[in-house]
Amino acid sequence: MRKSKTAIQSTENSPSAYPVGEEYGIIKKQLIRYAKDIWGETLKTVFSYAKTYKWPIAIALLLMFVELAVELIQPLVIGKIIDDGIIPGDTGTVWTWGAVMMGLALAAFLSGVTNSFFAAHAAHSFAFDLRAAMFRKIQSFTMSTFLRFPQSGLLTRMTSDITMTSNVLYMSLRIMLRAPLAAAGSLIMAFIVNPKLALFLMIGVPFLVIFLVFMVRKGVAMFGRVQRRLDRVNRVVQENLQAVRLVKAYLRGAYESSRFTKVAGALRSDTVSAVRLMELILPVLLFVMNVSLLAVLWFGAQEVRGGGAEVGEVVAIVNYALRMTGSFSMFSFIIVAYSRAKASAERMEEVLLADGGTEEAERGSGRQPIGDLRFENVSFTYEGADKGVLHDISFHVKPGEKLAIMGATGSGKSTLLNLIPRFFEPTSGRVLLDGRDIQEWPLKDLRDAIGYVPQQSMLFTGSIHENLGWGDSEAGLDELEEAARKAQIHDSVERFPDKYGTRVGQKGVNLSGGQKQRLSIARALVRHPSILILDDSTSALDVKTENALWKALEGERATMLVVTQKVGTAAGADRILLLDEGRVSGYGTHEELLEQSVLYRQIVESQSAHAGEVNGDV
Amino acid sequence: MFDFIRKPFGYEPILTKEDLKKPKEKKGERPNNSKDVLLRIWRLVDEQRALLIAVLVLVAISSGLSILGPYLVGHIVDEYIVAGRFGGFGRMVVLLIAVYAGLSVAMYLQSFWMIGISQRAVYKMRTGLFSHFQQLPVKFFDRRQHGELMSRMTNDIENVSQTLNNSFIQVFSSVLTLVGTVAVMLSLSPLLTVLTMTIIPLMFAAVRWITKRTGRLYKAQQRAVGELNGMIEESISGQRIVKAFSQEDRVMDEFTEKSERLRRTGFWALTYAGFIPKVMNFLNNGAFAVVAGIGGILALTGDGLVTIGTIVIFTEYARQFTRPLNDLANQFNTVLSAIAGAERVFAIMDEKPERDDAKGHADTVLKGEVEFRNVAFGYGEGDYTVEEVSFRVRPGEAAAFVGATGAGKTTVMQLLARFYDANEGQILIDGIPITELPRKTLRSQTAFVLQDPFLFEASVMDNIRYGRLDATDEEVIEAAKEANAHDFIMKLEDGYETVLSADGGEISQGQKQLLSIARALVADPVLLLLDEATSSIDTVTEMKIQEALERLMEGRTSFIIAHRLNTVRKADLIFVMQDGRLAESGKQEELIGSGGLYDQMLKGAEL
Repeated sequence: MRKSKTAIQSTENSPSAYPVGEEYGIIKKQLIRYAKDIWGETLKTVFSYAKTYKWPIAIALLLMFVELAVELIQPLVIGKIIDDGIIPGDTGTVWTWGAVMMGLALAAFLSGVTNSFFAAHAAHSFAFDLRAAMFRKIQSFTMSTFLRFPQSGLLTRMTSDITMTSNVLYMSLRIMLRAPLAAAGSLIMAFIVNPKLALFLMIGVPFLVIFLVFMVRKGVAMFGRVQRRLDRVNRVVQENLQAVRLVKAYLRGAYESSRFTKVAGALRSDTVSAVRLMELILPVLLFVMNVSLLAVLWFGAQEVRGGGAEVGEVVAIVNYALRMTGSFSMFSFIIVAYSRAKASAERMEEVLLADGGTEEAERGSGRQPIGDLRFENVSFTYEGADKGVLHDISFHVKPGEKLAIMGATGSGKSTLLNLIPRFFEPTSGRVLLDGRDIQEWPLKDLRDAIGYVPQQSMLFTGSIHENLGWGDSEAGLDELEEAARKAQIHDSVERFPDKYGTRVGQKGVNLSGGQKQRLSIARALVRHPSILILDDSTSALDVKTENALWKALEGERATMLVVTQKVGTAAGADRILLLDEGRVSGYGTHEELLEQSVLYRQIVESQSAHAGEVNGDV
Repeated sequence: MFDFIRKPFGYEPILTKEDLKKPKEKKGERPNNSKDVLLRIWRLVDEQRALLIAVLVLVAISSGLSILGPYLVGHIVDEYIVAGRFGGFGRMVVLLIAVYAGLSVAMYLQSFWMIGISQRAVYKMRTGLFSHFQQLPVKFFDRRQHGELMSRMTNDIENVSQTLNNSFIQVFSSVLTLVGTVAVMLSLSPLLTVLTMTIIPLMFAAVRWITKRTGRLYKAQQRAVGELNGMIEESISGQRIVKAFSQEDRVMDEFTEKSERLRRTGFWALTYAGFIPKVMNFLNNGAFAVVAGIGGILALTGDGLVTIGTIVIFTEYARQFTRPLNDLANQFNTVLSAIAGAERVFAIMDEKPERDDAKGHADTVLKGEVEFRNVAFGYGEGDYTVEEVSFRVRPGEAAAFVGATGAGKTTVMQLLARFYDANEGQILIDGIPITELPRKTLRSQTAFVLQDPFLFEASVMDNIRYGRLDATDEEVIEAAKEANAHDFIMKLEDGYETVLSADGGEISQGQKQLLSIARALVADPVLLLLDEATSSIDTVTEMKIQEALERLMEGRTSFIIAHRLNTVRKADLIFVMQDGRLAESGKQEELIGSGGLYDQMLKGAEL
């Protein structure tokens, strides 16, 4: 986009402002720019990952040349066998040259087979490295950068797009270079035979260059769109998998199918029009070449008449021309593959070169903070949003203290918690841990010190043991059990057939909402955090279990930040932070707030008298 | 040193000798052998037979023209250049231009239609797979990774697409060329033709040796892609947790392992596939040697059967003869990779859809009487999650389920929505066994607010309208107002037209629940299932929507799971669940003060 804009500007300026001589320079520059555009500024980043494999690539290319050379020598050998062996009836020569030929064939065969290994190795290792680089980059994104990419788009890039590019690398090492080489070779030979006539072969070249430049640019854009359509297909599928019950409950199978039909239809029609456009290349190339051939014949006949050329020369050039056209189908194939790969490479670069917002992969110092947490006039606005979510928040939680955070839905409670592990950075103000700005803490130290329990429990495919191990991969089973006991989930786990080996996550057993919540709490407790963040993570627990949980947590040394809807829970905290539309509307103990805050009294009111909590086995 | 030379040969093999010895598929387990898969793909293509025939005709035409062109060129050379005549040269050139134009047009049209045909087939496969997804039971999705299923929709189908685009034309034109070449060869010398043919069994054996491996490797590769995709999808969805627990390294390790697996299978598949042209080329050279050698001897012995001239021309044709064979072998291999993809797609399509044997009751308007008779159900093979559950709720009554987490409350709800079928006992609605009630009848009269609210990447308006697709904007807004969501919606950037993002921060969990409730309000059901519908909503807001909920429950049979008393208080009946069984049940008035479980819970709550 940026490039084409500058291109337009410079052509606009050119006619009147510069004398003719400079105009030529501008055209030249423009052409260079086009050439660069096509041959790949944008491919640089992606294909720099091929550099690691320069030796296998070189070897593969070398082997390909060996094969090619053998192919070129072979006709000569065959000629020798026929001319010197079979025709004079010299069996000795037939055997000798026959052996040479078999030797050559064997050499070509071995080169070819070895080339398979090197080419496949280079292509797949390139893909492997690229995949790893992309994945690592995604892992290093800050949440705001991460949210810029739709998840489905990241997935397509990691699979389909990488396949496209590595295919091109593989083909380059196998066949691609042959076609241009064969074409160039034939052309050179034609010029050697008769430059004047050979020139006629070139009459179509300027046209073809413009045509191909146009096709590649168009192709890249169109295939880019095809990949984006694939993203959307992916997205609808993902949504439907995540919301399987919702779709069924509301009987929306047919509706979703028609929604999918739309995105799949768009993918189909964009694919069809992209490929149809690209399929123009071969017929056009062939036609132009064939007409050039006719020109050679027409003017060749005249030249022969005028004595400017021998008959044999014309025949030879015709032969070379036919050979050139023979390599064209490969040529058009290359152009299509290249356009596709370039479109994919551009998409990958969006990820690889995504600016701003990556997290430094520094090592932690291993220092564990004591957990003194202070917010100083913190305000926060999501990237791209114009309304702030948090305004001028200040509070202080001393080590080991428990802060309850309350407020209406959408008042900014979760957002506030998200600032502590630095998922997002405050727009203004500071968050201090042990008196030091959290931005100055090594990220690993900071996050290692935090036990985070999200609102929506998320477990990963794997055993319960593995999931709890996320908290601390070195923790032994007894430590995991200890954490599970505190989180009031140990007994349930023990009742599962495979106990801690039970598989959970997308491929796992059906856990109840409360069980998932307690497992995520256990996962956070395993790490013995200095700061424990519970984002309304006990909403699915019954009173009895919850009470037992709070009791068990009393023994923890952690500073606790607890989002809760329940006054009972809040009253047990050292202090309560009351949020209202992103602002602090009250801050103090239960008693203080009862006295000072209207909003707090409303909340208490809503839960007393007719209200309360039920559930809990007895 | 020289590591780069050893590396390509150092890949650990994927296939063991035992693997290759094993019969292709265990018989009877799955009817998906390659032939069937191919046949099924073919059926999708065959639907457009008329176009397909047009393509074939065009391939034949372009093959003919591509032979005619050089022939005419030869004619021109002989007539006008060598002989030096000029009369009619111009006409000849015009004719040739017409031939070339015809060739280009025929070539373009055949690809033009072919891409249409193949993409239509692919599209049908994709939409077919998706609508099959919609018919599969919830149970099917419980044990599968999202990303893995997504990979079938994209990567596997893409494999089929690539093959369909090219292979069909290629195969047909190769066959044409082959037939033509063999005909010419036969006319030149039947004997030498037979000699040349001797390499065919060898080629066949070689291709078989290779494809036996690639066929399996492609399958392994697609599986590896699927698993990798599954892993990536999960780690991307759970990015926040990965970060919070600084588990980037762990995720990276798992990723590397899966990615390495893909590299290995891909490497071997590609390497073996790469052998094909090399082997064909080599055998071709062998054929040449045979033709030249034996032909030479025959020519020398001089019984006049073979002349030297024949040998010279013949060797040229022998070369041409192997080109289409080589193409065919390559295409065969490509088709194998399509099969590997298609097989994974068809495997899902062959999964049994949700049974819906119920024929009657299509238009039954439910009154909403619900009865469970000794119902037992378990998700897996092992223990039952709920057992011996019996209760009855009359039309219009509100029933609340209370009990510890994991006691089976949600399971009861899911059985009622028929996400699962009970293993034992019976569920009756209006006296009709639930299994005899078409799902459509049941679900069109049920609204379910699920524990985890889900919103689509669509506008707020459309998300609420999901409850009833023909709801007007006014009805949607009315529902949003009742659910107390209107105010916050109006504060969003584009109000009701704000497009929500998958993991966007623009909406809180509680607000998502409010939208889910609005969605149920719009639906206007007979049966209402609320599973912790207000758990993330603050109590003040909840009080505000209480009235709307009460109105919603009025006249409908409602089932409520909630922890908060003010929600449960409104219920007519209380069911206390404990360890999958109904421990206590009764009317609100009966239970309060009875000293039973519920009564104790209430007392506990009032502490």
